[in-house]
Amino acid sequence: MKKETGSISRRGFGKSVAGAGALAAAPMIVPSSVLGQAVNQAGQPVGQPGVVAPSDRIIVGGIGLRNRGQQDLAAALADPRVQFVGIADIRESARETIKSIVDKRYGNSNCVIYRDDAELLAREDIEAVMIATSDRWHACMAVWAAQSGKDIYCEKPAAITIAEAFALAENVRRYGVVYQAGCQRRNVPNFELAVGLARSGKLGKLLAVHADDWSRTLTPLGHSWWPEERPEPEPLVLDWDKWLGPCPWRPYNARYPDGGRSQFWDFHAGILEWASHTGDICQWAADCDHTHAIEYDPQPGTSHVNCAYANGVKLIFRGDGWGDSGTCRVRFEGTEGWIETGDSGKIEMSDNLRKYHQTVTMRGTDPSRHIQNWLDCIRSRSLPRANAESTCNAHVTSHCAYIACQLGRKVTWDPAKRAFVNDEEANRMRSRAYREPWRLDSLATNM
Amino acid sequence: MPVIPPEFDANPIWQLDQAKLIAILKDSGSSTFQKAIACKRLAQIGNKESVAPLAALLSENRLGHYARFGLEPNPDPSVDEALRNAVPKLKGRLLMGVIHSIGVRKDAKAVDALGKLMYDQDVEIAQAASASLGTIGGPQAGRLLRDGLNRTKIPVLPVVARATLVCAEGLMRANRAQALELYTTLSGPSMPKVVRLAAYRVLNAAASRSAG
Repeated sequence: MKKETGSISRRGFGKSVAGAGALAAAPMIVPSSVLGQAVNQAGQPVGQPGVVAPSDRIIVGGIGLRNRGQQDLAAALADPRVQFVGIADIRESARETIKSIVDKRYGNSNCVIYRDDAELLAREDIEAVMIATSDRWHACMAVWAAQSGKDIYCEKPAAITIAEAFALAENVRRYGVVYQAGCQRRNVPNFELAVGLARSGKLGKLLAVHADDWSRTLTPLGHSWWPEERPEPEPLVLDWDKWLGPCPWRPYNARYPDGGRSQFWDFHAGILEWASHTGDICQWAADCDHTHAIEYDPQPGTSHVNCAYANGVKLIFRGDGWGDSGTCRVRFEGTEGWIETGDSGKIEMSDNLRKYHQTVTMRGTDPSRHIQNWLDCIRSRSLPRANAESTCNAHVTSHCAYIACQLGRKVTWDPAKRAFVNDEEANRMRSRAYREPWRLDSLATNM
Repeated sequence: MPVIPPEFDANPIWQLDQAKLIAILKDSGSSTFQKAIACKRLAQIGNKESVAPLAALLSENRLGHYARFGLEPNPDPSVDEALRNAVPKLKGRLLMGVIHSIGVRKDAKAVDALGKLMYDQDVEIAQAASASLGTIGGPQAGRLLRDGLNRTKIPVLPVVARATLVCAEGLMRANRAQALELYTTLSGPSMPKVVRLAAYRVLNAAASRSAG
């Protein structure tokens, strides 16, 4: 459920109007701080330098921008096309932090803070939103944003269930908004090079793609316990009911919001912690952005899940790590050669491919080019690299692998039916009932 | 791994078979935690036998959602009947949750009841019923939603409009004429802008296809 414009409280409406008024008044004088060129995390210039008239800027708001969200925000604020105008967060401290960062950037005090994301989404002047809440809110919040007509940059995992992934893609398509998942490696040069070589046939016929993953042991069996109940904080400081969101109720303990949430199955998507990146890159390399793998076979005694696409390419999720190219590694193998890379930028390849080697200094975690790609696509109304459809399909593949891990047996998936074949137990794991009053809005299909 | 208090350890409950899980649900001495985990496990292994014990929890504030968590993925048709039967007995958030689950399960037998709830005095119930009608879809849901576009106001109307979009999308395969009629209504000036634009896109695509 999201609150409709007509149900916004008088207090909330007043704040929204005040924000819009401030926005209308502020750009008459352009602060010198917005005239610079965008830079990436390494301080290297990216994108187009120069001045963007206030009327040509993309009006952006943020929801839940902590930790990773602040890195995304920094990349957006560095782009002269962006005018960031408001932040919504259920934590008072996070709201104030973001306001401080934004106001310092623009040299004013115009960034409006909201406790309720619905108030921010109701602002008609906001064209695009950046979402970096915790995982359990990503899909739900992105669907609301799409239904509000906002373009979206949303951190990964984009969905913590298969049903959420499909709902996300359907709503983005239905409302015609530009969606970019925070799968930024699609815009990091070493990953682009590796995928380019795989897709252009330079590896020969592609045989196998390997995806680094993590957190596969996270199951409802061992990760549904409750820490001791503690008094809930004041809702103005941290709104516990909203923090839980669509997840099952449990008594408050600071362990969850203070960084321990990833130890609990309710709030997490297991192997998608990394597979939402690495599985996504592998699916891109295998030319399978439009579909899902069909077989998932966890290998006993190993951390591997051997999967297969209908086009014959094998996908191997690996929790054991390999090589020394940093986190989130991928490896592609063909009949004529192989290549692997990771977050450090280091690229290793078979000797016959050496002529294609590049030295890459950009780290795999750097979102700057990915944000640029999102902003470019907002302007051109074209599909970003990590658009909703490719993201949905990569997430479905990774979720199927995670379900196979949890069941400890091979499962077969029918992409057309969006269902596991003759496996009721696996099919029951495609979704989780949302806690009221929230709902996964508007899924027209049978999944 | 942290030290898990035994009274909040899910593992022993997770190992139980359906009969023992149901016994936990029925035992007034069971803790909220024990019942919650039993519901979660029954989501995976529960059959018809678990439906009534889970449905009995739908009216409990802390456990109503856990009950739906256990019921929603269970393919047995008795789940639909249990959810429909719960509707007149609940109100507020708990009723919203049941209406949402009915929508997720696409229970066509609930369409007429949801059509009435679309005009409930509780705005959130009316919104929930509208959304579930759209998700369930079909010709009758389409007719009810179209009436709702004329008879509801903000803040229910935007939800009815979005639900009608979803319903129309589903109807495009089986009943194209009704779907296009709904899209035409949704493109009208009284509709929310985002819905209007979405409807225009479909109508333009349909017109291009016809012209081509």
